[in-house]
Amino acid sequence: MNTGANEGASGSARLTPSRLRPSDVVRVGGSGLRSRKTRTALSALGIMIGIAAMVGVLGLSESSQADLRKQIEALGTNLLTVAPGTGFGGGDGVLPEEAAAKISRIGPVEVTADVVTLQEQPLRNDLVNQNETNGLTAVATDLDLLDTLNGSMSAGDWFNDATASTSNVILGSVAAERHGITDVSDGVQLLIGEKWFTVIGVLEPFPLAADLDRSVLIGKAAAESVFDVELNPSIVYVRTHPDFVDDVRAVLPATADPASPEEVDASRPSELLETQDAIEDSFTNLFLGLGAVSLLVGGVGIANVMVIAVIERRNEIGLRRALGATRAHIRRQFLTEALLLSTLGGVGGIGLGITVTWAYARAQGWDVVVPTLAVVGGMAAALLIGAVAGLYPAMRAARLAPTEALRAA
Amino acid sequence: MTAGSASLRPALELVEVVKEYAGNPPVRALDDVSLRVSRGELVAIVGPSGSGKSTMLNVMGTLDLPTSGSVLIDGREVSKFSDRRLSAVRSHSIGFVFQSFFLLDGVSALDNVANGLLYSGVREHVRRARAAAALETVGLQHRLGHVPSQLSGGERQRVAIARAIVNEPSIILADEPTGNLDTASSETVMSLLRELNTSGSTIVVITHDREVAASLPRQVAFRDGRIESDSALAEAR
Ligand SMILES: Nc1ncnc2c1ncn2[C@@H]1O[C@H](COP(=O)(O)OP(=O)(O)OP(=O)(O)O)[C@@H](O)[C@H]1O
Ligand SMILES: [Mg+2]
Repeated sequence: MNTGANEGASGSARLTPSRLRPSDVVRVGGSGLRSRKTRTALSALGIMIGIAAMVGVLGLSESSQADLRKQIEALGTNLLTVAPGTGFGGGDGVLPEEAAAKISRIGPVEVTADVVTLQEQPLRNDLVNQNETNGLTAVATDLDLLDTLNGSMSAGDWFNDATASTSNVILGSVAAERHGITDVSDGVQLLIGEKWFTVIGVLEPFPLAADLDRSVLIGKAAAESVFDVELNPSIVYVRTHPDFVDDVRAVLPATADPASPEEVDASRPSELLETQDAIEDSFTNLFLGLGAVSLLVGGVGIANVMVIAVIERRNEIGLRRALGATRAHIRRQFLTEALLLSTLGGVGGIGLGITVTWAYARAQGWDVVVPTLAVVGGMAAALLIGAVAGLYPAMRAARLAPTEALRAA
Repeated sequence: MTAGSASLRPALELVEVVKEYAGNPPVRALDDVSLRVSRGELVAIVGPSGSGKSTMLNVMGTLDLPTSGSVLIDGREVSKFSDRRLSAVRSHSIGFVFQSFFLLDGVSALDNVANGLLYSGVREHVRRARAAAALETVGLQHRLGHVPSQLSGGERQRVAIARAIVNEPSIILADEPTGNLDTASSETVMSLLRELNTSGSTIVVITHDREVAASLPRQVAFRDGRIESDSALAEAR
């Protein structure tokens, strides 16, 4: 017996530990899922929806914000507009004729342009009814408008001194579309106040001066000579040095109309977009919250499925222990199953989220932006949820005594 | 120490093993059991229901630890081993065969058998190759791809036996391997165990069937947690 005990001591030194290769951990976890396909799919679906919501919401908000930023950039945050407001006196709705000239003498102002809305209505030809203006307005403009608004032409040329003082028109993008005019080479003519004008150009849309997109523009000189109107500006566009936007804005009313500055509105169009940006942010947060809730629910679903799996698969656990699995191997197996489940949901959710972002952004005409943070964060969230949801069931499985697990169900 | 004494070392030995289950009053399922199983033996364990046969097999197989006494497997005293080391002993030295097979559903016979090597750290292709060989040993080389639901009861138990022998254990422990089988299948399984024994395996098998037990080289009878009789000791006397 003594020799036996001694040999026992030397024998235990040679005992090779049980070992489960990492690739086998994945294989074993995966086969657990494969044998229960429906349940796997359904419980992965919970995570998938949550991740898809988060990726989609972040992707869409990024895409729309990128689009807004592009618009703001195109417009420039240093653009201000001055328009007659509705002050205390009710206002007479006009700015002094020399307003633009005075404003352009403010130091940091780089360029100004003013436009005058005309009473005369633009018509396609003399056969249509006076009321069929297609919602378009005739506007007299000065030559600096294109520079001030960073605008560009989609066809033809902008006014020069000569074309601005004769019967020529340039169409805003919407106006051109409504009249079905894309080409200016064949000298199409329009009727404004019973006078014929030749279309010499079509504008690209102005990001934030949508009113101008619906306008038919003529030169101020032509307006003066053809219609004999007073040229009180309806609106003055002011481009300032970017560092002095607020200072310039503060002095604009008094400069434009020293007599009644309270009847002058000075505004900054890009602010509108920035507000829109902020509104979308709060929507984003709401949807992110909803996504987080559905992730939580998905996590509970995984935990639930795993707890059931541990109960149902007691015999399997017992068998594996009999085959030499340590508690750690069993724990790892079930944790891996939970992680694979959530990875499945995470990958599916990211795919779905990107698809939704792509489809919606395309439909809106935005550039598709899928933020890396959303993808990486979504995957990390899925893994974290899988780990947390799998931990308790895995520990329960590992704690099971082999003999108890092997008792026939 | 000589090479001769090393080869005489028993495959498995229980020394004054007591197993009590807590309760009021506590159940003494094993009461001072000492048993030595030498290499190459084929031992039948018999006894009435509740006499402690399964409890002893579980203690032998390190699935359960004795309340007192020692368990030696391959000369290693395992009754104080940690869970990790017990698992190591099971993965290398012991092969189990259960009454209800415990094959994994939806997993091919080949992979069920290969699982017998899963926790030894053997690579998958090696596991499969050895599993195919083990299935050939039990006469199922034509059923490698069948899942358990496509196999008869007797075939299932032969797959389970293949899984038990695939890691070439020092000892095979079978708890009523024919308990769920009809007479014909039972005979196939028993003759398979005899063949394995003839080619060198050490086997301990619990059976309710007195006739089957009588046909095996050694019988150990249990009653009330004690060894009532042991044919090996009777012969020695
Ligand atoms: N986990 C347990 N807790 C309490 N008592 C137990 C436990 N397992 C077994 N016992 C008791 O120990 C005794 C021996 O049980 P064991 O399963 O070893 O009998 P057996 O000889 O295998 O019987 P059978 O032929 O019916 O399988 C029985 O009285 C049983 O009730
Ligand atoms: Mg029993």
